[in-house]
Amino acid sequence: MRPATLLFRVAVAGASMEPTFHDGDWLLVRQLRRPPREGEVVIATDPREPERLLVKRVRSVVGDQVTVQGDHADPAESTDSRQFGPIPGSAVVGRPLLRYAPLHRFGFVR
Amino acid sequence: MDLRSLIAPRLVAHAHCDIPCGIYDPTAAKIAADTVAKMIEKITGSTGVDEASRNTFIRSVAVKEEHAQLCKKELLILWTDYFKPEHLEKYPKLHDTFWKAAKLCSKNKQSVDAKAAADLQAAVKEIADIFWATKK
Repeated sequence: MRPATLLFRVAVAGASMEPTFHDGDWLLVRQLRRPPREGEVVIATDPREPERLLVKRVRSVVGDQVTVQGDHADPAESTDSRQFGPIPGSAVVGRPLLRYAPLHRFGFVR
Repeated sequence: MDLRSLIAPRLVAHAHCDIPCGIYDPTAAKIAADTVAKMIEKITGSTGVDEASRNTFIRSVAVKEEHAQLCKKELLILWTDYFKPEHLEKYPKLHDTFWKAAKLCSKNKQSVDAKAAADLQAAVKEIADIFWATKK
């Protein structure tokens, strides 16, 4: 699943990226055409279900092996590379730039 | 078209825990519902005014509340995590059954009502029967 436009919007579902994103946050995402970097938040396809998008933070990049993890302090709140292992660089489709809703949480994504 | 639908994302990015969190089993809800019924028996049968009796009475009320809440929690886990749309197709009354059962949990928390407890036990059994039928 790779969106057709350079910029696209996603709605966050779930709590695994707390406190960075809350369930229901709306994000503006830019397609990523370079390898992901450690520490940045990415949108990636689910290695178990390619039509499904995930939002996670990159923990490490070793060659083409990208380890992603949720921000939530409790690992039980996130399904990520700790369960499904590293994902290939090609699975990373974009990087959220902006949280544009809800308005009181408007801001750039770090 | 309003602004909201204009700017709403059309894609979802999942930030879930979606590991199957252990084993789904309606037995936990059944034990909780049975406990509620048992506590109602104890509460209505309690007549003593000495300290020990009052202590037991209050504990029975507390345990009833706690297990009514627990029953709801266990039911909601089954409802939201275990059951899938294909189950709903086969059991069109599924949502209604769960909704009523969850409301019965609340009713049992609020009241001391043997009928409500029996209704809850029956509702949990109905859900358990559907659950086990989906496992066949």
